[in-house]
Amino acid sequence: MDLLLSPQLLFSALVLGSLYALIGVGLNFVYGTIRLLNIAHGDLVMIGAYAAFGLFTALGLSPMFGLPLIAGITAMIGAGLYFGLFKRQLENTTSVEQLEANSLLLFFGVSVILQNTMALLFTTSPRAYQHLDYVISIGGLDMTLSRLLALVVSLTIVFAISMFLKFSIYGLGISAIIQNRDAAKIVGIDVGRVQLGSFILGFGVAGIAGALVSLTEQISPFMGFPFTIAAFVVIILGGLGNISGGIIAGILLGFIEIYSVALTSATYRSILIYGVFVAAIMLRPQGLFGKAQT
Amino acid sequence: MTLRNTVLGAVALTMLAGVASAQDAVKIGYSIANTGLFSQAAPSQVTAYELWAEQVNAEGGLEVAGEKRPVELIWYDDESDPAKAAQIYEKLISDDEVDLLLAPWGTPHHLNVAGVVESHGFPMVGNTAASVAIREVSPGNVWFPTSAIPDKVGPELAAFAKSEGIGSVAILANVLPFAQENLQFLLPALEEQGIEVKMNENYPPDISDMTSLLAQVKASGADAVIALSYPADSFLYMGQAKELGIDQPFQFLLVGPTISAFQGAFGADADGIVTLGHWSPHQADWERAKPFYDAYVAKYGFAPDYLDSALAYMSAEILEAAVAQAGLDHEKLRDVISTSTFDTINGPVRFDGVENVETPTAFLQLQGGEMHLIWPGDIATSEYQNR
Repeated sequence: MDLLLSPQLLFSALVLGSLYALIGVGLNFVYGTIRLLNIAHGDLVMIGAYAAFGLFTALGLSPMFGLPLIAGITAMIGAGLYFGLFKRQLENTTSVEQLEANSLLLFFGVSVILQNTMALLFTTSPRAYQHLDYVISIGGLDMTLSRLLALVVSLTIVFAISMFLKFSIYGLGISAIIQNRDAAKIVGIDVGRVQLGSFILGFGVAGIAGALVSLTEQISPFMGFPFTIAAFVVIILGGLGNISGGIIAGILLGFIEIYSVALTSATYRSILIYGVFVAAIMLRPQGLFGKAQT
Repeated sequence: MTLRNTVLGAVALTMLAGVASAQDAVKIGYSIANTGLFSQAAPSQVTAYELWAEQVNAEGGLEVAGEKRPVELIWYDDESDPAKAAQIYEKLISDDEVDLLLAPWGTPHHLNVAGVVESHGFPMVGNTAASVAIREVSPGNVWFPTSAIPDKVGPELAAFAKSEGIGSVAILANVLPFAQENLQFLLPALEEQGIEVKMNENYPPDISDMTSLLAQVKASGADAVIALSYPADSFLYMGQAKELGIDQPFQFLLVGPTISAFQGAFGADADGIVTLGHWSPHQADWERAKPFYDAYVAKYGFAPDYLDSALAYMSAEILEAAVAQAGLDHEKLRDVISTSTFDTINGPVRFDGVENVETPTAFLQLQGGEMHLIWPGDIATSEYQNR
């Protein structure tokens, strides 16, 4: 019981949950809003991690200061993929099912290319660097600075994104496209521009998540897949396209993971996480925070 | 002669030169886990192979029964799939007609490939396989230089812990096979030494946070922590153990600390960590050890993996020495490898059946950023130090 009430466990749940939320937000822009099945999302997290590693080891630049540049790198990849691969798909495909099927295949190819390109450039050897790993204590809670910063940066970004979407004209445009793409076009929303913006935001956020992950984990070209899975769990739990729901679902997933392991055993981790996921989908197919289709 | 004939003649000459060169080279084949689950581990092995081939060629080539011939490495990606590795070795032997073989990465791959080399009677010195299952392989065509076999590691680790006055341990174990096999032999060995196991928890390979496990370790009050970990969770352990203030003087991590990235990630914080490994460049009795370390660092800019790189290089050294004596004839090679004692970067190696019976099971400790052998005493390069 002492363990369950410990602030240490709460801190770990918040760190993990906020990272899940951040990774989920990125995917929500691409899959939740424009229904492209981006199974390369975790590989963009990997690219962000390598960008942070490269900036730190080659230039001595802290990932904390390099975040805009790292986000810019992955956002540029997003823009390139949008114009090179997906713009025509989005313009010419009318059914959501067909769009999902086509994008799944395309993103599978993107995933393989990204992984193997990074393996060629950096080899498959794991990489890591020592940065911001001081432990600070506040009121009996010990926190590694890098994990504390990962928490603060993740929460700040997801909060800023949710505010941006709620109050900006761009956010309203995204909401309109999610509700009814054709109607959005009719009322004058530049759907192509909003979709490009979604790509740039989604990929940029994935890069930032990767930079934060690189502060606390070893990185390798094939590290992305678990993040892809986590992101899909988060956005499906939160309700497709529901950015705020996805953020809450991400944090919830972090809490489920940390506290279920503490209550039972670490060996049940995957069973518990995916058990909750399957149960939630069975009971609420539209996601915990999604609206039922009428 | 027309221009056309001149061009054709030049092409033909070039092709002939290529054929002559290919005939001269000793073709050595292997598969690597270039992609997939084990791809992170494979570079430690491949870098050692490539360094060895470069050194051999720089010295005029591989001595084949008195004649020096250049070495040509032929490899394919097995995608971390043991079944694919077996197919690749079949192709290397049958289609590519390689002269010699080097080993793939990992125990399952070795065991799968063993059947292929057995059926062709093609000798292969293994390296990165460590399991009691290797003794099931029919002796004669495959040999394993490692001494990190779990039924030896468990008793040695328990004896070492006892010798350092450890009365109780907290154990964390990855559920993957090598960790579980070590756990299987460690538990009875600890009991035999009278060391109390205050905590024994398994965890999955995809664990992303160890807070609750480490909080239990802390609450257990054990004298030592033994984490039967793989590289990714060794990294996770180190970062979170620091945050939670795990301060046991004896902390053992199974696999991970021997990789240069580990030391890069934790620097002085990793000092005092004990790990599995039987090679160190600081062992002056092994004259080839330090030159290998220096050459590796000069070529790649980072230290070799004290386990996998050392084992991969040892296997190539053994093959090189055997070929110098026996040439490329498989029957003669088998005899030489089975009966000779080889001088390697890890000291003398001699096989009884499939197993190296010279190299002792040993442990390393990070001390001041350097990896030292601290157990057993007769090969130790430094005394064990509390963390």
